[in-house]
Amino acid sequence: MISLNTVLFISSLMFFIGVAGVLIRRNLLIILMSVELMLNAANLNLIAFARYSGTVEGQAFALLVMGFAAAEVAIGLALAVALYRRKDTVQADDINLLNG
Amino acid sequence: MNALFSTIGQNLFLVFGLLACAGAAVMILSTSAVHSVLGFLFSMIMVAACFLCLHAEFLGMAQLLVYAGGIVVLFLFVVMLVELTKYKEKSLFTTQFKWSLPLVLIALGIFAVTLKSNLFGPAAPVALSLSPDLAQGLSATAQNAQMVSRGLFAGFLLPLEILSVILLVALVGALVLAKSERVS
Repeated sequence: MISLNTVLFISSLMFFIGVAGVLIRRNLLIILMSVELMLNAANLNLIAFARYSGTVEGQAFALLVMGFAAAEVAIGLALAVALYRRKDTVQADDINLLNG
Repeated sequence: MNALFSTIGQNLFLVFGLLACAGAAVMILSTSAVHSVLGFLFSMIMVAACFLCLHAEFLGMAQLLVYAGGIVVLFLFVVMLVELTKYKEKSLFTTQFKWSLPLVLIALGIFAVTLKSNLFGPAAPVALSLSPDLAQGLSATAQNAQMVSRGLFAGFLLPLEILSVILLVALVGALVLAKSERVS
């Protein structure tokens, strides 16, 4: 059986890949996917804690997080489609309406 | 050869976790958005396998259904709708690329050092299991599902109901946002 630290390290690696995706990519859809990836890394942590402490709260909470992620991605993709319809682009750098 | 297989069997979580990270790396580095979605799909399936390795059978299946079944298809639809070839990406990465990547690597290093110096205890001897009188005649998977449902509906009933309302609001909101505006 692997140790808890291994799980935490894998999930932090995944989280930081998500952070890098949000910071370096220009495509709005890939930024959204990276946010999903970060939520998944957090879920992995919750489930690992549930496994290693032998309690159920972590798994219940992970299920709730999964539901919130689904709601978030629905709204995010609808925003992306609406933006594409108005401005013909989904590149984050081109969406600077509030930029002074 | 048998020793190799047994080592892999003991560290199955590590294999799936690293494959998930590889899928994520493909996702953020590939030039085509469709390839990104495929990397995301691979990563999500591997995360579901990680959940199974951690004895969260119900959540692993939920992950497969929600992510691989629902969200990836949604992403793929929007990529097909939006990402037409006539608007070729001018450049793949943002201008702050050179600054953000070292920052991320430094943060990852800090996390790694912290996790290496803090040792947590070993796993609980038995993965989540019901009390013996409830668990009679149930497989481990069914026990896990019952356990999660008990935890969810006993301890997290109000958050669950709030979540259902939020999902409804998100549904209606997405519909309103994505609806085409009619010229009257």
